[in-house]
Amino acid sequence: MTSKIRRRALPLRANDGRKCEGASTVSFNHPLAAKFQGSRRNMRNLQYVFMTLAVLCFALPAFADGGSTAISLVPIGAGIGMALAAGLCGLGQGKATASACEALARNPGARGGLMIFLVLGLALIESLTLFTLVIILIKVK
Amino acid sequence: MPESFALVRLLNALLMGVEAKAFQSIGVAPAEAIQKAIKVNQALGLELLVAAGLIAFFLLVRLTLSADRPNPAQQIAEMIHETCGGLADQIIGHGYEQFQAWVTCIFLFVLINNLLGLIPGIEAPTVSPWVPLGLAVPTFLFYNYQGIRAQGLIGYLKHFCGPIWWMAWLLLPIEIVSHLARILSLTIRLYANMFASDMVTLGFFSLIPVGVPAIFLGLHVFVSLIQAFVFMLLTMIYLSLAVSKEH
Repeated sequence: MTSKIRRRALPLRANDGRKCEGASTVSFNHPLAAKFQGSRRNMRNLQYVFMTLAVLCFALPAFADGGSTAISLVPIGAGIGMALAAGLCGLGQGKATASACEALARNPGARGGLMIFLVLGLALIESLTLFTLVIILIKVK
Repeated sequence: MPESFALVRLLNALLMGVEAKAFQSIGVAPAEAIQKAIKVNQALGLELLVAAGLIAFFLLVRLTLSADRPNPAQQIAEMIHETCGGLADQIIGHGYEQFQAWVTCIFLFVLINNLLGLIPGIEAPTVSPWVPLGLAVPTFLFYNYQGIRAQGLIGYLKHFCGPIWWMAWLLLPIEIVSHLARILSLTIRLYANMFASDMVTLGFFSLIPVGVPAIFLGLHVFVSLIQAFVFMLLTMIYLSLAVSKEH
């Protein structure tokens, strides 16, 4: 258990003088070394808490009332929206192409009709992504 | 903004006088009439040029038709006619000949308009959103007209009600909305594909000016072909749905 104080024989310096990972800068038996070695997991958790609070503080200007220093959320929304649309379109088109390849492998004589259906399906799926693009183009000034 | 193309300036000089006179005959004052006359912009000028070119090609083929010694223009026309005819036969089935002209013209027009965007300095007419709208609305009117002609007004309207008569109250608004959405989807599909293709080429051109944008021009060619083909295919599918008789 890391909360218990463990007295391991950690080398404080490697042979060429580099400080080893996890070594404390004070001597091994110093009281502070004992305290911080043992509570490494608590310290890491505390670090995570402070990092999260700091990130929340970055978002504060977005709630400022209409000042010129406010972070605009429109590009973030546009990016996330377009990424979602493009990703899901990729999934759908992948499924369509996979089915077409498999059908062609089973029945190579049906090539003409299969190509029509494949192209039609791909274009219809892609048009959904393009609707998202058009909304972004309209809304982003 | 003064247009840079000589063709567009010529068209403006010819047509604005005619339009101003037309407005004056309705009763608009002369000074206002010139302002109200719709200026021909680059997209419209290029569209008219493409239309004139296509009509010239059709005339050339028709006037030099020969069964023994077909010239190259006739061979190209036969190739196009056979491809579109075969596709129409597959999708519409019996009685496809009356629609073949419209469908072939849509395909050729959209294809050449898209490919005009490859020429540096010229923006493809289909990049402006009004041009695909101007293609989608006549297609919508055409297939509705053909449906009414083939099945009569009542018979065609019965299509909208679906197969079960007691669900018609639900299906009628859904069908009407989905038919109107066809105009929207045809327009936006063509416009957004061309516009995005332009944007992507411009974006990569601003990053790496040499060599790499050529790949995106190749992509533009591929996308133009596919979008023209899909426009034609969807027109045929809508026609087949409108004209089909359920036995």
